[in-house]
Amino acid sequence: MSVHTDKDGKDKVVAAPNGNASTVKNINDVLKEREKESKGKGEDKEMSLDSTERVKVLSPGQLVFKRFITNKLAILGSFILIAMFVFSFIAPFFYPYGQTEIFYKYDNSVIDYAQAVERNDFTAYYLVDENSVHYSVKNFLTASINSMKESGKDELDLQDNDGNSYTLRKNEDNIFTLFVTDREQVATFGGNVEYGTYSIIGGGSFAAADGIEIPEGLEAAIKDAVAAKSTEFSFKGDTYTLKQVKKSYTVSKASDGYSYIGKALGSDFEAKADAAGNGDRFEMGGVTYVVEVVKDTKNVYKLAGETEAALLTTYVFDSYDSSKPVKDDFKVAAVRAKVDGTDFSVNGTDYTLSEDEGETVVYEAGDSKTPVCVFSDFVIRRYSGEDSLDYDFKEKVREVIDEMTESNTKVSKFTWNIAQVDENGEYTYDENGELIKEEREVTLTKKNNAYVMTVLQVVHLIDTFAPPSREHIAGTDGDGMDVFARMMYGGRVSLVFSFIVVIIETILGIIMGGIAGYYGKWVDNLIMRMVDVFYCIPSMPILIILGAMFDAMKLKPYVRVAWLMAVLGFLGWAGVARMVRGQILSLREQECMVATEAVGLKTGRRIFRHLIPNVMPQLIVTATSGLGSVIITESTLSFLGLGVKHPLATWGTMINSVSTAEAMKLYTYIWVPVGLLICLTVIAFNFVGDGLRDAFDPKMKR
Amino acid sequence: MAKFIAKRLGLCVLIFFFATFMVYVLEYSLPTSYVEKTAMELSQRPGSLKSAQQWMDELNAQYGMDKGIVKGYFTWLSNSARGNFGDSWSQTMPVTDLFKKCIWYSFVMGLIAFVLEIFIAIPLGVTAARKQYSMTDYTVTVVSLVGISMPTFFVATVLKLIFSVRLGWFELVGMQGRNYATLDQWGRLGDLAMHLVLPITTLTIIGIGGLMRYTRTNMLEVLNADYIRTARAKGLPEKKVISHHAFRNTLIPLVTILGGSLPGLFSGALITETLFGIRGIGYYSYYAMVAGDIPFTMFYLAFISILTLLGNLISDILYAVVDPRVRIN
Repeated sequence: MSVHTDKDGKDKVVAAPNGNASTVKNINDVLKEREKESKGKGEDKEMSLDSTERVKVLSPGQLVFKRFITNKLAILGSFILIAMFVFSFIAPFFYPYGQTEIFYKYDNSVIDYAQAVERNDFTAYYLVDENSVHYSVKNFLTASINSMKESGKDELDLQDNDGNSYTLRKNEDNIFTLFVTDREQVATFGGNVEYGTYSIIGGGSFAAADGIEIPEGLEAAIKDAVAAKSTEFSFKGDTYTLKQVKKSYTVSKASDGYSYIGKALGSDFEAKADAAGNGDRFEMGGVTYVVEVVKDTKNVYKLAGETEAALLTTYVFDSYDSSKPVKDDFKVAAVRAKVDGTDFSVNGTDYTLSEDEGETVVYEAGDSKTPVCVFSDFVIRRYSGEDSLDYDFKEKVREVIDEMTESNTKVSKFTWNIAQVDENGEYTYDENGELIKEEREVTLTKKNNAYVMTVLQVVHLIDTFAPPSREHIAGTDGDGMDVFARMMYGGRVSLVFSFIVVIIETILGIIMGGIAGYYGKWVDNLIMRMVDVFYCIPSMPILIILGAMFDAMKLKPYVRVAWLMAVLGFLGWAGVARMVRGQILSLREQECMVATEAVGLKTGRRIFRHLIPNVMPQLIVTATSGLGSVIITESTLSFLGLGVKHPLATWGTMINSVSTAEAMKLYTYIWVPVGLLICLTVIAFNFVGDGLRDAFDPKMKR
Repeated sequence: MAKFIAKRLGLCVLIFFFATFMVYVLEYSLPTSYVEKTAMELSQRPGSLKSAQQWMDELNAQYGMDKGIVKGYFTWLSNSARGNFGDSWSQTMPVTDLFKKCIWYSFVMGLIAFVLEIFIAIPLGVTAARKQYSMTDYTVTVVSLVGISMPTFFVATVLKLIFSVRLGWFELVGMQGRNYATLDQWGRLGDLAMHLVLPITTLTIIGIGGLMRYTRTNMLEVLNADYIRTARAKGLPEKKVISHHAFRNTLIPLVTILGGSLPGLFSGALITETLFGIRGIGYYSYYAMVAGDIPFTMFYLAFISILTLLGNLISDILYAVVDPRVRIN
């Protein structure tokens, strides 16, 4: 009796056990028939020694399966692998968190809540176009006011670089007004008067300037001076200067008189102007003149009047209703009103001022006398600079600061209802739209001339390195992401990565090995030398170089992964090719291949339909162990930070993120389970690979 | 035999040309922008004596990057053959000097781990094969598979956690203790040895599994051979059967594979050295590769290719020496 395997892999028996020589039946059918017969005849019939009932025939597939499941390690490996696939491909659907979801937590933490600073700087509210005040005055306003305070002056004249004059006037200690003086030029004195141009071309010619009367003989004197190459010459007691411009000379004489813009003002004016220096003023005929000296020119201006340019004040306005901060035009009007001691109205609403316990309070005019805001010289703001504190709080802070100043202490505490903020740092409101407040202790500390208020407040933080808990089974990592979710997605990346790489190298290996083994001769030689070359090239260094290059080129995470898979697959085909080629070399000589040749099958069909399927068992074994080693390579690369990148989760990166000495010690609950997952997966692949090899080829079973 | 060796040598030279050519092509096809940027960055580091332009010029002269790919390859090859490898960009010293400085650490580490592997793995493998299907056998099989399956970085991290962080016996990284300068010669040697314990342990753990498996497989093959049955049939004591008849025959493939891995002792351990901060060739080459230091990377790749080739050559020759059947074919 002989057994052979046909295309479907089923066993057929060409047998003649009981003389049925002419029929060819499947042994299973025969066995079934026998069974029926024996049942019909009764249980007590003894089985004959050559009975086929004694023989149980399994198909090769069944045989392999049976041998596989008797291998304990292989079964263990299979279970681990199935668990791993469920864990990384199916479990994420039932797990509530994603791989890049960031978790937050609430925590009590001392925060810098607010700050109080005494105002010394003046704020300027401009009443004219701000740009019309020159920066040389504008930038020194506070300094000018300080100098006024020191010298006890109530008024200070200022001049900018353009010669405009300003006046600063004190209204009260904290309010000053800046006036711009309007002026009109009336006369100039000094400087040079141009007489004309002397050209030396064509023996010399003099062209007089417009409107200048040339004294007789001046032209001849110029000619002499030019010939003598002197830059100055005297003529009739006056000194003239020559200035060479290319081939001509400009002749000018220092002016000794006044030239007027408009009508002449006479010798009396000139005498007073002569006596005045830069910035000095003099009066004549009820008009004030001011003198300005620029180099050797003296300009005289008539002062026409003054315009109010800016209001300067150190006051800040604390609103009673913190949701309605006061506007600039209101501030200007209020400051003015305080100076003048009057009422004022803005946008149709009337307001009155009144002194109240040393503070000036602005009320809305009318019977209700609603307080609007108060003049204050302390700026109390949220630490972020936002003016959103309520009036009562500010009032309390001012009180405490006063006490502190009196008792000369640096730290003080008081309790207050502090408005609570949510995760975005915004105020929280209850269902009635009221601010949610909680009683907290406010610590007021003096730092230089500022008072910092710190409060223990609930803050919303990224929940980093949370230990394992009910919400996060394996805790959270340094980015506040759920470790367990990342383990699942990391497994997905690792498994998909290794499958694709192994598929690439197997396909390449089958093609190259198949061609080499089938054709032999020089083709085989060529491909095998290529295999040798690929064996020589170290793959890990090349992957590291590529990883560093991808880093420098800032490739996107997915593009990187694709490249890494392609390169790893391309570098790994040599082993598969060598194995396939070896198998095919021995298979080629067998009868079945001779038969395919005799039947006249095409080469491609012979290689891929008849040779390759016979190599399949070895291929599956190689590929299974290959999967494990690719996972190791990938996780090593990721561990080095050169493989799969954040935010994609991989096992290697997860371990890398806690590999410093301190983190390693503190966060073992992150890296140990992840490391064990890698080991388990690779071990499982190796167990299954070993089991498969033993099952396919029992002769090799050791 | 001479003919066999000559043939293998000739083949090796051919493969060497193609392998180094592939390595050269890889470096040649790095984007120019990347190379220039790297040169620019590295030249601005403290201690760098040359400008980026000088480096680029040197690189072109050395590697023929500005020439065609084949011409460039031969430029590089002729320069390298004369021992001219240029200056390492990341360490700013000649590549050959850096190589001389770091290679012995790698070699010592590799050698000790190699010897340890042999002395642990081979007896265990033999024992496992002798008692096939016993508890020992299963343990050895599982342990060796686990050893093969563990990534180096995980083993290193676990060892660091246990022995450096928890027990505090060894330092985490580096090669010198903080009082190194005050030690005498023997003290310094001891200090270095203490720093090498964990890396060598890592290398041994990683390497042991494969060798154990290989020994076991080959020992089993030999034990199933007819001459062992004959030896037992003629009544030799089991001890003699194993040590004289079986083990000596198992040595044939073992010697081949171990001989072949001798050149590999020089190749350094890329990951282990980097993780433990051992200044061997693996450490420097890792940082050279990450920093984009082309001269040292190129040298390292070519060096590794040559070592692999040498290893193959040695194992081929050893195979032919111990097994006369190979020589005939």
